[in-house]
Amino acid sequence: MARKKFRLKTREGREAVTGYLFLLPALILLTIFLLYPMATAFYYSLTDFYILRPNDINLVGLANFQMIFSDLEFRNALTNTLYFTILVVPIQISIALGLALLVNKNLKFKIFFRTAYFSPVVMSLVVVSILWTFMYNPNEGLINELLGVFGIPPQSFLTSPDQAMNSIIAMSVWQGAGFQMMIFLAGLQNIPKHLYEAADIDGASTFQKFLHVTLPGLRNVSMFIFITITIAAFKLLVQPMIMTQGGPLGSTKSLVYHIYEVGFNYRDVGYASAMAVVFTLMVFIITIIQRLVVKEERG
Amino acid sequence: MKKAFKWVVPMSLAGILAACGGNDADSSTEEAQNGGDEGDTPSDVVETGDVDQGVEASGDEDVVLDMWIHQTGEDETDFYIERIDAFNEANDHIHVNAEIIIDDGGSSYSDAVNASLVAGNLPDVLALDGPYVASFAEADILMAVDDYLSDEDRSDFVDSILEQGSYNGELYSLGAMEASVPLYYNKDIFEEEGIEAPETLEDAWTWDEFMEVAQELTTEDRYGLNMFMNYGVGEWLTFMGAPFVWSNNGDIISEDGTTSEGYLNGPETLEALEYVKSLFEEGVVDLTPGEMQFEEGNAAMALGGPWIAVSAEDADLNWGMMPYPYSEQMKSPSGSMAYGVTTSSEHPDEAFELMHWMTNEESVEGLSEVTGMPPARISAFESMDKYQELPWSIMREQVIETAHARPQTPAYPVLTDAFAQAFHAAALGEDIQPVLDQQVQRVERELQRFND
Repeated sequence: MARKKFRLKTREGREAVTGYLFLLPALILLTIFLLYPMATAFYYSLTDFYILRPNDINLVGLANFQMIFSDLEFRNALTNTLYFTILVVPIQISIALGLALLVNKNLKFKIFFRTAYFSPVVMSLVVVSILWTFMYNPNEGLINELLGVFGIPPQSFLTSPDQAMNSIIAMSVWQGAGFQMMIFLAGLQNIPKHLYEAADIDGASTFQKFLHVTLPGLRNVSMFIFITITIAAFKLLVQPMIMTQGGPLGSTKSLVYHIYEVGFNYRDVGYASAMAVVFTLMVFIITIIQRLVVKEERG
Repeated sequence: MKKAFKWVVPMSLAGILAACGGNDADSSTEEAQNGGDEGDTPSDVVETGDVDQGVEASGDEDVVLDMWIHQTGEDETDFYIERIDAFNEANDHIHVNAEIIIDDGGSSYSDAVNASLVAGNLPDVLALDGPYVASFAEADILMAVDDYLSDEDRSDFVDSILEQGSYNGELYSLGAMEASVPLYYNKDIFEEEGIEAPETLEDAWTWDEFMEVAQELTTEDRYGLNMFMNYGVGEWLTFMGAPFVWSNNGDIISEDGTTSEGYLNGPETLEALEYVKSLFEEGVVDLTPGEMQFEEGNAAMALGGPWIAVSAEDADLNWGMMPYPYSEQMKSPSGSMAYGVTTSSEHPDEAFELMHWMTNEESVEGLSEVTGMPPARISAFESMDKYQELPWSIMREQVIETAHARPQTPAYPVLTDAFAQAFHAAALGEDIQPVLDQQVQRVERELQRFND
């Protein structure tokens, strides 16, 4: 019967149905693993669900959300996360673009450099975090040894409340930039050659070509990278969990780490869910703002 | 419509995270700094597997028991399996299905327990960490076992194990092994410097004596003391560090467990942490020691767990043990994994039998031999030769006489983090009182849940 219906439709209609059929597996998975857990988290955020009392869940209205306002740890974690994001996003984008421009040149060993810059991305973040913890060790770490060569006194890195987050930022940029480099590289290679040739004829300098041909040509790629880096930066979790356990003095406790601790270590699923809902809303709003900014640029 | 769809991808990434409350194992597509192969945080790695048991269920057994045990080391697990097999063989009518769950020292084991708790399929008997007994007892997940245990049998367990297993005056769990922290020392360095180490509890150093020696032993090339700060800000700091407070006549929570106000931020606690702070300020202790600092001779003394004896031996170090230094009264760290019977068990009698089997003299002594951890029974201390003389006699005396269990409160997960944060702040040389006051607020908020 269904088949008959399709036949009656126009060609576009049939194509649409085929399209949605292809989408179906993804939609089913999305519902099971995403929409349903999100809905559950939203429900839990209105309850006093405590892991050790799974049979005694009561609705408590917005009490969990009210608690967020007086939670100093939440505020601290939010500040840390914002600090991380605001620094990581521009640094990582600039470095990724710089690397992409470098490896796009016709240098010797081009393939080697591409592989080298990309290799940190392939490694497990946990492994990278552990390795960098060793490198950051104030007494025996590689980085202080290197600084010593230039006569710079040993730094305390992860054990100093002032330096810990910056140390994590440096390590995160090193680990992640290779991925965006590859995307930028693909973008660079999509810019038509004749634009550069035209610019050459006009007598444009290298910098002018970069400014007026390369950058506009990368706009869409840049936006994609900008948004994805921002979202991923907000999700900071593994690095502080492995490297500092959120310390020293809470200086590297990220929002997601705080939510994780409250939910799993302190068993307060209700409150953790409430924070997760707020977190999702924040990321949502930031993404919308980012999209609006792009739109204006296009206009 | 098309526009709206564009939102699904970025939104969903945020959503996965939010929905799982911080579990980022699922999203792998758009990882700016997380890279492709991310998400393997220790807590996500919960490997479970059935025990490869020599004894198979024959199908005639009346009672089948499920049991969960943690895995930290292979030898230890092999020993558990051996003991479970022996139990199966000795009891025709019972068959035990044991499941081994990785315990990485992080939260993977408790994550697994939490998950099955919510799903409502807990085993009959489970291993759990000592300080968590109170939470499980308070939530009616564990069954009180006082009635099952004879007085004679009960008195064979060291006090700290009974203390750790009790909540509101009832006994909920029994452990096979204890743990302690002696003050290790490098005999060669002591000989060189002409320092004599105390050999019994009576001669234990006071804080002042300890500080003096530690300073004397600190040179350009080595630290006087290693406190294993490289273990991170976690349970270790409470396990190793809380005796400083108890020893100073203080506590981190009131005896009835209702408040930490005036305890965690009380003058005795403050004084104890000021003492810890001074150890770091004097340069006696390293805030970031290498993994093998003591074993390699780069620290003259160490406050470490029983496992340090094993690694020191492996490193061919000429080492000894001394008692934990004290202020007003002698206190030493204590506590380890223990067993409990769940209230959901349909065969509580048999379940207790199993738990008792895993903590009987044979199990306790065998486990101690395999792991190097001190036994939980006095009789085992008496029958094992190694505990009759130095250095292990120190550990025997500590476990039997000065061991102090960590507080039995359902708010323990928050309380231990609060203390660890404060201890770490002291190590960093921070102003301690404000940190303590702030941590007390957290603990008080958590306690409200249980005080109503």
